[in-house]
Amino acid sequence: MTVQPAAAEIAISMTAISKRFGPVQALHDADLQVARGTIHGLVGQNGAGKSTIIKVLAGILKPDSGTITVNGETVGPLTPSSVERLGVHFIHQDRLLVPTATVGEAVFLRHELGFGPFVSRRSMNRHAAELLKRYFNLELPAGILVQDLTTAQQKIVQITRALAQKASVLVLDEPTAALVKREVDSLFAVLRRLRDDGIAVIFISHYMQEIEQLCDRVTVMRNGTDVGTVDPAETPIDEIIAMMIARDVGEMFPKRSVEIGAPMLEVSHLGMAGSFEDISFSVRRGEIVGLTGLLGSGAKEIVQCLFGLERAERGSIMVEGKTLSLSSPVHAVRGGIAMLPEDRRAHGVAIDLSVRENISLASLGRYSGRGFVKRGLENQAIDGLIRELSIKTPGRDTLVRQLSGGNQQKVAIAKWLSCQSRVYILDEPTVAVDVGAKVEIYNLLNRLAGEGAAILLLSSDLLELVGVCDRVLVVYRGRLSGEFSGADLDGDRLLAASSGARGPKAEASS
Amino acid sequence: MSVSQDTRATGAQKIGGFIASYSVVITFLAICLFFAMASPTFLTGANLYNVLVNNVVMLAIVALGLTIVISSGGIDLSVGVSVDMASMVFVMLLAAGYGGVFGVTVGLLAAVAVGVLNAILITRLKISPFLATLGVLFIGQSTQQLATSGGQPIYLITGYAGAQFNAIARTSLLGVPMPVLVLVACIVVVYLLLHRSVFGRAVQAMGAQPGVAWYSGLAVPRQLSLVYIGCALLCGITGILLSATVKSYVPLSGNAFLLDAIGATFIGTTLSAERRPTVIGTLLGVLLLAVVKNGLLLIGWNFYWQQVGIGVLVFLVLAVSFGLRRARQ
Amino acid sequence: MTATTMKSTVKAAGAGAALGEKQPRVQNTGKRIGTVAVRLGAIATFALILVYFALFAPGFLSSFNFINVVEQSAILGVLAFGMAAVIIGGGSNVTEGGIDLSIAANMGLCAAVFATMLQAGYPDTVAVLAAIACGVAIGALNAVAVVGLGILPLLATLAVMNIAAGAELTLTQNTVVGATSPLLSFLVSGSFLGISTLAWCLILFSAIMLVFIHKTAFGLRLYAVGGHPEAARAAGISVPLHVSFTYLFSGLCAAIASVLAVSRLSASTPGSGEMLLSVLAAALLGTVFSRRLVPTIGGTLLSVLFIGFLANGFQLLNVSSYWVNGVQGALILLVVAVTSFARGPEASR
Repeated sequence: MTVQPAAAEIAISMTAISKRFGPVQALHDADLQVARGTIHGLVGQNGAGKSTIIKVLAGILKPDSGTITVNGETVGPLTPSSVERLGVHFIHQDRLLVPTATVGEAVFLRHELGFGPFVSRRSMNRHAAELLKRYFNLELPAGILVQDLTTAQQKIVQITRALAQKASVLVLDEPTAALVKREVDSLFAVLRRLRDDGIAVIFISHYMQEIEQLCDRVTVMRNGTDVGTVDPAETPIDEIIAMMIARDVGEMFPKRSVEIGAPMLEVSHLGMAGSFEDISFSVRRGEIVGLTGLLGSGAKEIVQCLFGLERAERGSIMVEGKTLSLSSPVHAVRGGIAMLPEDRRAHGVAIDLSVRENISLASLGRYSGRGFVKRGLENQAIDGLIRELSIKTPGRDTLVRQLSGGNQQKVAIAKWLSCQSRVYILDEPTVAVDVGAKVEIYNLLNRLAGEGAAILLLSSDLLELVGVCDRVLVVYRGRLSGEFSGADLDGDRLLAASSGARGPKAEASS
Repeated sequence: MSVSQDTRATGAQKIGGFIASYSVVITFLAICLFFAMASPTFLTGANLYNVLVNNVVMLAIVALGLTIVISSGGIDLSVGVSVDMASMVFVMLLAAGYGGVFGVTVGLLAAVAVGVLNAILITRLKISPFLATLGVLFIGQSTQQLATSGGQPIYLITGYAGAQFNAIARTSLLGVPMPVLVLVACIVVVYLLLHRSVFGRAVQAMGAQPGVAWYSGLAVPRQLSLVYIGCALLCGITGILLSATVKSYVPLSGNAFLLDAIGATFIGTTLSAERRPTVIGTLLGVLLLAVVKNGLLLIGWNFYWQQVGIGVLVFLVLAVSFGLRRARQ
Repeated sequence: MTATTMKSTVKAAGAGAALGEKQPRVQNTGKRIGTVAVRLGAIATFALILVYFALFAPGFLSSFNFINVVEQSAILGVLAFGMAAVIIGGGSNVTEGGIDLSIAANMGLCAAVFATMLQAGYPDTVAVLAAIACGVAIGALNAVAVVGLGILPLLATLAVMNIAAGAELTLTQNTVVGATSPLLSFLVSGSFLGISTLAWCLILFSAIMLVFIHKTAFGLRLYAVGGHPEAARAAGISVPLHVSFTYLFSGLCAAIASVLAVSRLSASTPGSGEMLLSVLAAALLGTVFSRRLVPTIGGTLLSVLFIGFLANGFQLLNVSSYWVNGVQGALILLVVAVTSFARGPEASR
């Protein structure tokens, strides 16, 4: 299994690629060899050079040195369109599809079918339908628009677009990020079939179990170079992670010992038609409670109700014994609830405002009198929080745009510390975050809990839930299907409960 | 080590910011110098007084209103309607023999009603500010035409109304004309609101990233309503000053302020390192436009050429402003 | 300790694959039905207004009146197609997307150039070419501002609108410039199959636009560029080129409309800027006729004719024409409120 592929089998060969951005050596003598008919994983922390080497292959970045061969031929400077002509296609992380196009139009965009300058929508739609049937056994309503497809179907349309252009190499960047388990499985089945047809698939992912499940070979990148290519069937995952971060994986989930106090957040019989029913649970002072469920299970909607983003139709929400009426985030924030949203740039921090303006945004009342901001008071508090969370910023008036992703996330958390929130809701705080930043976020969670906050962590990363939480609640089809803690808290049970399999019912709840 | 590097980086940015801000100030001074040399009347007290009262005051008040709106990430194309409605109601009430104070109050309320309509369309019906205020612009113009049988102006030069107008436009306190005093009051209020108050912070946050403002527990719809109502109120003040100055109501005359006010606000954004609208920047923009208009007139350009000149100037300012923004990203 | 938990998770993932159970999923069906209902509601409003006119406005239904409306709508139609192209290529997000506020003022300037050239004794061909050159030049200015300099289209074209309006005033000194020529008399009095030349102009232009926007690869790519620029770029389409084209094209439309406008009045007249409101109304109202809620040629044509019938109906009912603007404004608000509801809160992009 570990034999090097023979020269004739090589689809993509990148040798000694280097790329420098100013003082930063993004790629240093990096190699990547991908054989035909294999699924080749590419892993590494953010900044390890994964995306840079992919951009070099895509013709978006010009390497400073190194050679690239595609299907055995050495190619000159690549451009996005010349790469496509060579049969190398990219499925980007964002669903890069025109929402108002039909499936046929999306599949054949820029390679329209028709006669001369004229196009035939009918033949494009028909051909697209044939391809979808042949490769994915998927039948969509005729003329359906991309915006009406599910996330997974959109991903499949993107892949179909590549197949329609006779792709010989397919590069997928985090393709499973927005998919539910079942969709991931069908995507993997498709990728395996394409591999068996002789297509080379490059698969970039942060999810280690996916790499182990799917890939025939994995190249690990660190500090701008490849630190090794291994067979995941023979190399344990912790070893691969160790290669990525060059330190012991045991540090990933810091241990803590916190005294768990009185109930802080109490939710009883919460219900919203079509989303969830009869949800009751509580989160105590100092406790980290996980909440998980597949997409569409209602877990996300529960969290949104707790922050007033959606309105529950039944039931009550209490913080420290006081019932809150949550019709908008205004009430939630006033009631002491904080939310770290999934989409940081859209909802978490305003990148065009300064660190100071961001941090004090939710707590201006504390730094003002008669409607006017007291700058001295504000500056003092902000400087304190910057020090406390060790936010790396030149100063409080620096725009958040100029900070790194991890520090931006810290600014988002500092906003709620400044507000003295007591209940923290975190919505997928570590999606697409590299291992190093994850550890920092986990440490911060532990500290918050240590200071007496109640924490509700919505996550679909089972590893993370098991590692971080005291207790995990599972939502299935709009109802709580299980509660796990202590020795019962493991990935098997969580997965079984979230996918509706009969599992041990919650015995921990009293 | 890394800290000192960071400081140096922001130092360079600060210098860049200073150059960018000074460029507008320098342009302004250069233009003043040019007109002073080209026309002997430009620097006379009478001319500068004329510029201030006739070209600056009213435009500045409208531009202050738009500064708030643009800070909040929106736009108000219906500023002209607010100006006109205040002016129309005020003049019509005076013509009907009502008192000056009553006329001013109801006139301002008419402008506020335009703001309330905008606010409802934007915050309740979730129509984008551009389309909402565009629709209100259509409706406002139609209303004026219907109320004045197709756009007949109402002149009230003499008599009771004339005296009321003079009481507003021609009086002065300690040698400072009333309109200038009104402007100063508006500047102080808008400055405090936008740059010193909690409301101003909310406005800036909505402008930078509305989702973040909402997720931070700010009452976005209410604040946004206040933004459009405040803008309409400022336009209403301009409408009162306008009709008192020209002693008449000329339908659809408020629209002339729109482009100049947008231009002034964007000229002002080049003054801030973060390219945000500011009160001081907007005022500088208004002065620049007023001086250019006056100067072009003095060196013999007619009204039509002035319009081209101002259009080109605004175009260039937008180019610089957006060019700088693009360069930063 | 952690290693074992990780193992179990991995195993668990395998177990999940075997389950393969269907998850309940909130489909978009509800939203889609809502969209359809809302669109039908808007179209029904249009229809009701027309039915009202048909019942109560004398002579509204006569074929003469119909052709008259088509003829009167020719100028608006040509301009609205230009605006529609800009919105298609720039995207229908009004603040960030494509819009050309200078199109009406541009038409005024082109008309002034055209009439002035004719008055100065130049032949039709030269005058028409000059008008087209002028219109495309203003379009190029917009293209440079929007694509080259990255200015928001709404601000850039607003500034260009003032430049064009000022240039027109400077050229004509705010007066009516009379013009006669063989081309103009052909346009104004010629007819074929009982339909006047102006009406034919609208019919032919619509047909060309229909093929161009809906039947060519270029048109398809234009929608892609407006609908999702990053997706278009990823597919290898040049976004700047396509967006620039739309502004040049709207300049061309302004020039063509200017020739029609001069022919109607045998002169170039000040005040063409007032057409802007109707042009915007036509292009925006047209989106309700498309299930994708984007501008289409058919939809734009229908709303142009609707606006024509609105003015015509008011006239026949002896209602002041001053109502027309207000009703247009109210209709825009209605349609936009309705479509923004139909698109849902995620429509902001």
